[in-house]
Amino acid sequence: MTSANVIECEEPEVAEAIPCCEVRMPAGLLGFEHMKDYLLIAKPGEAPFRWLQVKNNPALAFVVIEPLYFMPDYQPDIPEADVELLELTSPDDAAVYVIVTVAGPHRATVNLKGPIVINRNTGVGKQVVIVNAAQYSVQQPLPLNGNAG
Amino acid sequence: MLILSRKSGESIVIDGRIHVKIVRVEGDVVKIGIEAPAEVPVHRREVYEEIQHSNQQALTRQCTALPKLPLTATVKPKRETAKSV
Repeated sequence: MTSANVIECEEPEVAEAIPCCEVRMPAGLLGFEHMKDYLLIAKPGEAPFRWLQVKNNPALAFVVIEPLYFMPDYQPDIPEADVELLELTSPDDAAVYVIVTVAGPHRATVNLKGPIVINRNTGVGKQVVIVNAAQYSVQQPLPLNGNAG
Repeated sequence: MLILSRKSGESIVIDGRIHVKIVRVEGDVVKIGIEAPAEVPVHRREVYEEIQHSNQQALTRQCTALPKLPLTATVKPKRETAKSV
């Protein structure tokens, strides 16, 4: 198990104190189509970041963030077919998260082409490829404290 | 790879439920119409692969130390996401 490339860490404990909610993504994530059930977890001291963790495997998780925290003018155009699939009836129904790639304490990027859209009422979500994907980057740098580039 | 010749206006059927129609051929651009059930995702391959690669890069373990994001304003989400457990 131990090698130079493996980061050893304690398995995350199942803490009741951590607010989380279940998210079902029938189509999975792109490249992870077989993983459909997730927990959206907010850990103390880590806001505005959250964890989208594979429900049955705490070792597999994605860092996510709502774009309004760093790009309030982000306007993802969600394909009509996805709006219907997710049964979204108004913009307020949709929670939008983008996936963060953490490259270090001072460097992280977000994927703005493929946000995760979740129906707040049903808990069903999907990673959608937005219609206006050409306007946005799949590796948009996050404005971080002490960003050394 | 199965290779079929189709003319403009002709279709192929996949798995009895996915219809792919050659709508128009203009020079080296082919316009394709796809009818598939809502649960079958259809993507342009290059965008799909770009996001797939990004997802693979982003997959991490929860011990990862998160960076600090300077919060410029007191932005609050309108509501809590999805239903609570």
